[in-house]
Amino acid sequence: MSNFSVAFRDSDIATILTVCGELDAHTAPELESAIKKCVDEGKIHLIVEGNGLEYISSAGLGVFMAYIEEIRALNGDIKICALKPKVFGVFDLLGFPRIYHIVETEEEALSLFNQGIQPV
Amino acid sequence: MPNIHSKTALLSVFKRFWRWLPFIGFPLLFIGTTVFAFLGGLDESSTLFQKITHHAALILCFLCLWVAVARLVRNSRPTPIQTFWQTILAILGGSFAAFLAFQIPGDFIDSNPAASIVHVKSALLSAVLAGLSFFIVHRLGLLVRFRRTRRSERNWRFMIILIGVASLSSIPTHHQFEPYFDWPFGIAVYPFVALSLASVIFILMNSVRLAWIVRLSLREKRAAIGLGIAIVALLVSLLVAMANYGSLVSSTTATVPNVFLHFFSYPLFAATSFFFLFGLIYALTSLLSLIFHLPTTGDYRRSTDEMAAMQTLAGLLREVVESEKLYQWAVSTPVESGHANMAWLTVQNLDSGSLTPDIVASCNIESDRIAELCDVTAIHNSIVQTREPVLIQDTLIDARTRKSKSGKFESLLAIPLTTRTEVLAVLFASRDVIHAFEGEDIETIGVFASQATLVLENARLLEAKIERERLANELAIARDVQQRLLPQSMPELPNLNLAASSVAAHEVGGDYFDILELDEGELAFIVADVSGKGTSAAFYMAEMQGIFQAVARIESAPDIFLGYTNRALGESLEKNIFVTAVYGTLNSHSGRVSLARAGHTPAVLVDADGNAKLLHSEGLGIGLDRGELFGDVLEVEHIQLRPDDLLVLYTDGVIESRNNEGEEFGYDRLLQTVQGAHNEDAQGVHDAIRQTVDEFAGTNERYDDDLTLLIIKWHGRKTLSGGTAQTSLS
Repeated sequence: MSNFSVAFRDSDIATILTVCGELDAHTAPELESAIKKCVDEGKIHLIVEGNGLEYISSAGLGVFMAYIEEIRALNGDIKICALKPKVFGVFDLLGFPRIYHIVETEEEALSLFNQGIQPV
Repeated sequence: MPNIHSKTALLSVFKRFWRWLPFIGFPLLFIGTTVFAFLGGLDESSTLFQKITHHAALILCFLCLWVAVARLVRNSRPTPIQTFWQTILAILGGSFAAFLAFQIPGDFIDSNPAASIVHVKSALLSAVLAGLSFFIVHRLGLLVRFRRTRRSERNWRFMIILIGVASLSSIPTHHQFEPYFDWPFGIAVYPFVALSLASVIFILMNSVRLAWIVRLSLREKRAAIGLGIAIVALLVSLLVAMANYGSLVSSTTATVPNVFLHFFSYPLFAATSFFFLFGLIYALTSLLSLIFHLPTTGDYRRSTDEMAAMQTLAGLLREVVESEKLYQWAVSTPVESGHANMAWLTVQNLDSGSLTPDIVASCNIESDRIAELCDVTAIHNSIVQTREPVLIQDTLIDARTRKSKSGKFESLLAIPLTTRTEVLAVLFASRDVIHAFEGEDIETIGVFASQATLVLENARLLEAKIERERLANELAIARDVQQRLLPQSMPELPNLNLAASSVAAHEVGGDYFDILELDEGELAFIVADVSGKGTSAAFYMAEMQGIFQAVARIESAPDIFLGYTNRALGESLEKNIFVTAVYGTLNSHSGRVSLARAGHTPAVLVDADGNAKLLHSEGLGIGLDRGELFGDVLEVEHIQLRPDDLLVLYTDGVIESRNNEGEEFGYDRLLQTVQGAHNEDAQGVHDAIRQTVDEFAGTNERYDDDLTLLIIKWHGRKTLSGGTAQTSLS
């Protein structure tokens, strides 16, 4: 039924969560538990790779907000990359780019982590 | 009319006469025929006509007696035991009366009556014994026809009629008629023999109808056996006496009672003999059957107890059952029906979440003593796993059961109460002997368990239904309350035309719109959307309403208002919830608008020529940042409206409405719709958007998301018409 999936991939400096499908009120808990799992394991440098993300609802956006304070308090961050234009539009409408690093590619996100640059 | 009256009167007289006819007819005919014979009407000189008349009268006479006995017997419905008693008393009384009649002096010499008194003696003797036999048949007939069926009725009537016809067919062999039927090979006897055989067959058929026996208790059966033996003994004695009495008391005369009966009337003698034979055979079959049924009495009791238990359950089904009552039923039934000595019921306590089941009811043992007998938790949990019953035929050899010293806990059966999906409870039944539970016991207790499951599930469904209804009520109330938080009517202002609506996807939603009249033609308006749907969104929406109504009156400037809102809501919003809003003020005289967007879908501005654009000013959603960033990012757009300019504010429910192909409504369709309808007034534009969205969504009747619209049309300062609205950002 659910056409949403999250895959984990660890690089040397960050954990990449590849999300696919539609992120809405029904599927949001999946991403939420995925992020929670990372945080619990001490992985606080997270990159959400959204090339396969077709749709995001407000509940989906809420997932990014749920842990960001906690992660940033530990000097970690969630960075978002490779969003489709339509999905980026939703992030943009809400003002996410002012709070999160939303970049074109995974490499950019990794280099931001490398340089230790945090959003404002 | 009088005709009918006289007719019914006549009918009732006739009925009364008919009712009393046998009771009058019998004594009259009996005395008449006896006197006729006594006065010598049947001596050698009597004609054939006289003989036939006499016999016809006799037949009629005893038919009357038959009917009279039937009428006397018909009205009472004695129990089998009473029937046996009555039969015994009747035999004793009849035999005594027959004995008295036999004492009348008079005998035969060479088959001829020695004196006229012999006629009287024969008549009395025959009448007494015939009456007795009739009574026996009628009384026992009630037992034969216990639980009567069409077939049993037919067999019974056939037997009576056959006996009657067989008896009548004996007439040709009577001494008075013998000379007239002196046919070769003794052919005159053949019909009688054949009919007699048929009668005996039917007597046997009726004698095996003994359904009344199963219903008797053990005590009653024992009593019935005793009485049955008495009946058999008495009847045998009577028949022996009838055939031999004379020769027993006196060696000189060999005249036995049967001879007198014989002499009096062949058919009556035959009928009397058949009826006694029936009585004897029926008493014998009853006796045998009673003896064979003795051991099964307990089983029958048990099954009637089971039926009674099921009836109690059916009663429970009809009322609203409290679980306690049902649990008690489930444990007491196996014990009361004799399938178990002790029983108890365990239920998983879902609230506490512990793995130890609760003992919710017990019978014949205190709940707190059960733990001394066996490991209830282990057995319960293994049954929950397997959904299969557990049978421990000897509690000594299973690790989960510890034998108590009293010897009352020797075998154990535990049966789950299962629905399709889960094990509701486990019913434990124990017995005081090892290997006590046979296939049938297990089946029966299983039936109890499944019946209890049914009622238990019923009760639970009912409870759930009541709870659902209660929730639905609560939600309906919440919906009403929320609807009242929205403006009930649009303010009437010069130069302005307004329209708005809000539809929630569920009973309550997270969308909000409002309009507030400030001083001097100033207006504050807002459209907001709480992320998420349903109850939690509705609470934040209510908070939003409170903030708007309180703050906008005092600080109407968009940046100040939204900054305040972000601080106020930021305190209470959950981390993953945010609110988006478009807020603005409008001066209805000047047409000046100040507008800010906090993460919300951009408002649409349409000028009088139909040029539409989205007002994309910067702004974070409320709750995204709880610090300074929110205020830093927020832009306020200042717009000078031109006459007939339109402002369209909406929530993402409009943009994200999907059609059957999963395609979104989107901004382009919205802009096209607004452009197409821009000449209409605010309500017209509103209706056009709603209609287009509805048509787009098609059969997706319910909205996936809350959907809110607010349309503002400014008519003011017509002289300056033409050109587009000027916007500027601060």
